[in-house]
Amino acid sequence: MTLRRWWVPPAVVALLAGCAVLPPMPPPVPTGVVPTVDSVPTISAGSDQLSPDGFDAVRRMAVRIRNVGCGQVSTGSGFALTATTLVTNKHVVQDSAQLQVSTYDGHDVDVTTASTAGLADLALVRTKENLPSAPELAATDPRQGDPVTVVGYPLGGQLTVTNGHVIGTTTDPLNSNLGQVLVTDARVEPGSSGSAALGADGKVIGVVYAKNAAGYSFLVPVSTLRAMLGDETGFEPAPTCAG
Amino acid sequence: MTDAPWRPGQPEQLHAVDAPTVALPVWLHDGAETIAPVPARPRRTAVVVLAVLLGVVLAASGTLTWYLLRVNAAWQEHSQQWEALAEQHGADLAQARSDLEQTRTELAGVQEQLTTAQGRITQLADEKAQLGDQTAAQQQLADYQARVSKAAGQVATALANCIDGQQQLIGYLADPSRYAPDQLTAYKQQVQDYCRQARDANTTLQSELAK
Repeated sequence: MTLRRWWVPPAVVALLAGCAVLPPMPPPVPTGVVPTVDSVPTISAGSDQLSPDGFDAVRRMAVRIRNVGCGQVSTGSGFALTATTLVTNKHVVQDSAQLQVSTYDGHDVDVTTASTAGLADLALVRTKENLPSAPELAATDPRQGDPVTVVGYPLGGQLTVTNGHVIGTTTDPLNSNLGQVLVTDARVEPGSSGSAALGADGKVIGVVYAKNAAGYSFLVPVSTLRAMLGDETGFEPAPTCAG
Repeated sequence: MTDAPWRPGQPEQLHAVDAPTVALPVWLHDGAETIAPVPARPRRTAVVVLAVLLGVVLAASGTLTWYLLRVNAAWQEHSQQWEALAEQHGADLAQARSDLEQTRTELAGVQEQLTTAQGRITQLADEKAQLGDQTAAQQQLADYQARVSKAAGQVATALANCIDGQQQLIGYLADPSRYAPDQLTAYKQQVQDYCRQARDANTTLQSELAK
């Protein structure tokens, strides 16, 4: 009898195998197949990336300085260093009876004090109200060939952004700065003095203070600016035209 | 015990055997085949087994057919649901693309407006600055003119005093015996002060004019 029912186990196995290859019932259809995405980061108005009026930080940090002297009026440029401190050139603020500062959108900012550096063509101006935006200072001076962007008010006109490259370094042709100064081919004009020169990363690499007949612009390097800012005795009240 | 050969139609005869005997068929001399005895299988049992087997197979086939039909229907419904879902997402995608295109168009317009507005803001800021420069310059000019006018007035006043004093002094000196000498000397000194003030005022005026 055992030999006669030898087919039973293979038959059971075959039956089970046959059941195994039967098509299964379909799974339930999902209600949606749209993948979830990460939330998009938002840029809040008023941050450094975007202002309520859409101006970028490069333009928002620039200021226009009017030097009302004793019998003359001159203009220059500057940029915010902190919320209430801006940097410009000594020759922009000296011999003034009154300093008037305005921002990129024409807003007037009252000036409290002005001080000038003794060993560089640099000046610090303190303001009563907050300035719109302040850039970061680069850690080191730029190298030859590095791009440079100058933002200021050439000829006392509209806020202008010009680009160029660092040509090299030289001794100050005006003998108003100690050490080396930077030479760039970014176009500047009278009135651009005090403009911030920015590197590719948007950090300040220098302060425009002069130009020559060949069209090259001269910058006080950021290393000099850092050195002067680190020396509290390096600045003294700006001389006025009233004496 | 000898067995008679089984013929078709005859009932099977069961024999008790001690053990199954298997023998090869042998051709006889008269051509008739002699089949060696084999274990007999009851025909009825075979029919029953076959019938049961057939029933089982039929039942299995029916079950399988029912299952396959059910699976087929389920997969068809599944396919329809996926198709509906795809159509829904396709419609959503088309709507999203349309919205995106519209948003891009609006964004381009807004960006253009923003650029224009920024340019206008910069322009207005410049105009305001230029007006401030002009105001400051005009104020400087007004202050200058005021200083010049003041200096010129001082010159005129001092010159008038000087001239009047000198004319009066000339009259006094025409008949000096009528006046005390010390009074004449004091008056002469006073006239000289007027004239010196006139010279100083004129110097100030020339200085202002030179600026």
